[in-house]
Amino acid sequence: MNGVWLVALPLLGAFVLPMIYRRHTIVGYWTGPVILIINLAIAMGLWQRVSADGTHSIAMGGFPAPVGITFYVDKLALLFAIMVILGTLILWLGKKMGEVREETLLLLIVAGGCGLALSGDLFNIYVFYEIVAVASYGLAASRGTGAGYAASIRFLILSALGSSMLLLGIALIYAMTGTLNLSHLAYLAPQMLNNSVGLVAFALMLIGLGVKAELFPVNTWVPEVYATAPARISALLGGIVSKLALLVVLRLLVLIYADTSAPLLLLSLGILGVITGELAALRSSDLRQVLAYSSIGQLGLVAIAFAIPGPAGIIAGIALALHHALVKPALFMLTEAWGGQLNRLVGAAQVSMLSTLLFIVLALSLVGIPPLPGFLAKFLLLKGALAVENGWYHTAIAVVLIATVIETAYFIRIMRLMFQSKTQQTADAPLMRDLKPALSLVVLLLISVLTVSPISQSLSAIAEEAADKEVYINKTLPSDWHHLEKVEW
Amino acid sequence: MTESAGIIILSYCGAIGLILLGVFAMVMYRHLIRIIFGLMLLEAGVNLFLITIGYRANAVAPILVDGQIPAAAMVDPIPQAMVLTAIVIGVGVQALALALVVKTYQAYRTLDTQELAQKLAKETGVDIIEGTPVYLPSPLAAHKQILEEKST
Repeated sequence: MNGVWLVALPLLGAFVLPMIYRRHTIVGYWTGPVILIINLAIAMGLWQRVSADGTHSIAMGGFPAPVGITFYVDKLALLFAIMVILGTLILWLGKKMGEVREETLLLLIVAGGCGLALSGDLFNIYVFYEIVAVASYGLAASRGTGAGYAASIRFLILSALGSSMLLLGIALIYAMTGTLNLSHLAYLAPQMLNNSVGLVAFALMLIGLGVKAELFPVNTWVPEVYATAPARISALLGGIVSKLALLVVLRLLVLIYADTSAPLLLLSLGILGVITGELAALRSSDLRQVLAYSSIGQLGLVAIAFAIPGPAGIIAGIALALHHALVKPALFMLTEAWGGQLNRLVGAAQVSMLSTLLFIVLALSLVGIPPLPGFLAKFLLLKGALAVENGWYHTAIAVVLIATVIETAYFIRIMRLMFQSKTQQTADAPLMRDLKPALSLVVLLLISVLTVSPISQSLSAIAEEAADKEVYINKTLPSDWHHLEKVEW
Repeated sequence: MTESAGIIILSYCGAIGLILLGVFAMVMYRHLIRIIFGLMLLEAGVNLFLITIGYRANAVAPILVDGQIPAAAMVDPIPQAMVLTAIVIGVGVQALALALVVKTYQAYRTLDTQELAQKLAKETGVDIIEGTPVYLPSPLAAHKQILEEKST
């Protein structure tokens, strides 16, 4: 089984799912999870293969790069693909029967997400990005309320503007270099893209990808959509899909823009995102919006980490992204019962001790209290940023520390509300159905506490492999491709 | 060559003009339908830009008959394939946008984004001060909340 199946299988599943549902509802209900489990098995198999034989690339239709479209399979891409598949599978636990439209769109998001992680071609990345975007417009409106539709159309407008900017950036790169293949671009970039037009192209692509990645100027949709969409959807979009856009930004930075001032652009957007997100979360009075703004802040942290050159930044970024992908979906699952104004949470500890404990563990990990993995992730970020000889990175450290203090403040405030004695208002107890995904994510989180040293070792191996531009070029382009340069149209 | 250079410059100017016009419409207008028209202009501009990148003067379509490469110069086929895909994606997104606009209008009886934001904010519990929703921290909102807490 090669990596193409990771994209093809859920895509196929999304198209046949409505037909299966029409015949047998029970079979339809299990089709989605079965496809995801098969996909997970394929991804694990590929992981074994990559660990044994090193990375490889797949040429679509037998056309080798740089002419054909390639998929590049390395541990970084597989890690993010596994994150999407496993995350969607966990959020599938305890789903209601018969939500056929939502399930179709979820499978589409998995297909697009795996494609974004694996693809080695800029235009292909645009197409997968659009697949993910269109599926998420539908999911954002899937509650079927007026507020959901209004939030979704406002999200669509911003996101479509972003996608056009992404396409414009790709067009600029094609105009300058005449290629779309990432490894061919990596080879040509030092001579052809190390100029101001190259930077403009990067800025345009960053704005486009930033809509999904919740980067600073284009994240106004986040609080609206997460406050109106079902909790599972907010969990998926905020916790998991947003990381894939940042993965594409990381690939661009490592392969094409390593020696330019492009990382500083990402760094400044990350710093602004952290500041605005955390301050807005502090003043927000709605639990869903607190989590939405906190997710803007956390993605700002990932952006700062990816802006740090070399493997140190990639390690910190992956650690932060994975940690956020475990914690934030679990927190969002608790909002299905506890969403709305914060003072509704008064007395939550008396109503449901289990959910309160879950909330405390998750919030403490998000803040970065030492035994929990959130601490390791933030520590790696600070360590990486300190090692760079540049004042901007040291400013980023100060901002991260201040943001941590703000984060502590608003989470402690929420916890205090939970432990207050009951007044006339009481919190509802979260349903077991919604707690299942949260519980499994917390179990994964606690497992990662116990296995910190193997995880950090494999993270550094992944980062070393991902930061190596030469390997990417050598594994993707055939050895005799140089004669292709001489072809005149 | 001067004639073809003129065509290329005109085409680039048209593309940039359409892009600027589209972004301007999307940012400045508050009416949803006008915003979607702006989006269409923007997409048309980007597509024209892509087509112009691949344009060659006096060139033929890049079609190989019996595996023979034509004697004349060929235009670059890759941007054309990209534009074809981008047009299809654009049409799909626009149709979805219009469907969502219809649903939004049925729910709120307005297409003005600012009014929509206010109604949405009221439903999702964001503070509204002097008619505009406040997403960023505002001392006034905090003060209001403290007063409410004291009274209860």
